[in-house]
Amino acid sequence: MAYSEKVIDHYENPRNVGSLDKNDPQVATGMVGAPACGDVMKLQLKISDDGIIEDAKFKTYGCGSAIASSSLVTEWVKGKSIDEAAEIKNTAIAEELALPPVKIHCSILAEDAIKAAIEDYRTKNND
Amino acid sequence: MNYFQLFGLANQFDIDLANLSTIYQTLQKQAHPDRFAHASSQEQLIAVQKSTEINDAYQTLKSPLLRAQYMLTLRGVDMPSEQASFGDVSFLMRQMELRELLAEIKFANDTDAAIFEASVVFETEFEQLFNQLQVQLTDNTTESNAQACDNVRKLKFYQKLQVELDKLEDALLDD
Repeated sequence: MAYSEKVIDHYENPRNVGSLDKNDPQVATGMVGAPACGDVMKLQLKISDDGIIEDAKFKTYGCGSAIASSSLVTEWVKGKSIDEAAEIKNTAIAEELALPPVKIHCSILAEDAIKAAIEDYRTKNND
Repeated sequence: MNYFQLFGLANQFDIDLANLSTIYQTLQKQAHPDRFAHASSQEQLIAVQKSTEINDAYQTLKSPLLRAQYMLTLRGVDMPSEQASFGDVSFLMRQMELRELLAEIKFANDTDAAIFEASVVFETEFEQLFNQLQVQLTDNTTESNAQACDNVRKLKFYQKLQVELDKLEDALLDD
């Protein structure tokens, strides 16, 4: 199956790969997995006191589309408020990367990773 | 008629695979479309459909994970879609560690030993979940079926790890 140029670009030069300090109270972690293909995705967001995403890092074990989806998402969320980030839809990710139908679940995984990270942030900060 | 009935087997998780294969061959012979070469086109069509059904049933019953999933479907358990994300954080953390273990293998001094060690870890953890699954399916309560459903999804991650390990082993052999 042919990958789109954008997928290949993100796959070959992934943005924001790595980890943030998970013990930092400003850092939220979202972990999601896809049983169908065994992909595992970790997305970490560093969120300022006024709810703005200052930094994002990811680590994904999976196919090119899963890596590209998470890489793209780290670029998109930076500078956004958590409410804005929560609005990011998998369809937008799939469209940007021109994902074929069999790879749509990779974009769903990336959307769910954002949601899981925000959920983690809210749990951490909801004393 | 469900797949177990089609094969004349009890609806249970433990299956004798040799017996399954014998029944499959017998059923396939009976339904083989060649036997219906001189029959009406409708009978031929039925034979082809029957043959396909026997084949589907065999593939499903032969694979423990597909069999488990099929049993849960028969019990009316709502399996999450294949596309639905899995969110058990501690399980996924462990998966990340195992993926890292896998990624480290090619840097090991003794790659054969590292592959062997990884396969032992994967198999041990797979077995543990698989044994739980057996008990959960036998218990057959609402709660145990929900847990079985969860375990089937977890086991798929271990299947993937094994596939990746096999790929790595092949790649290292080629070098």
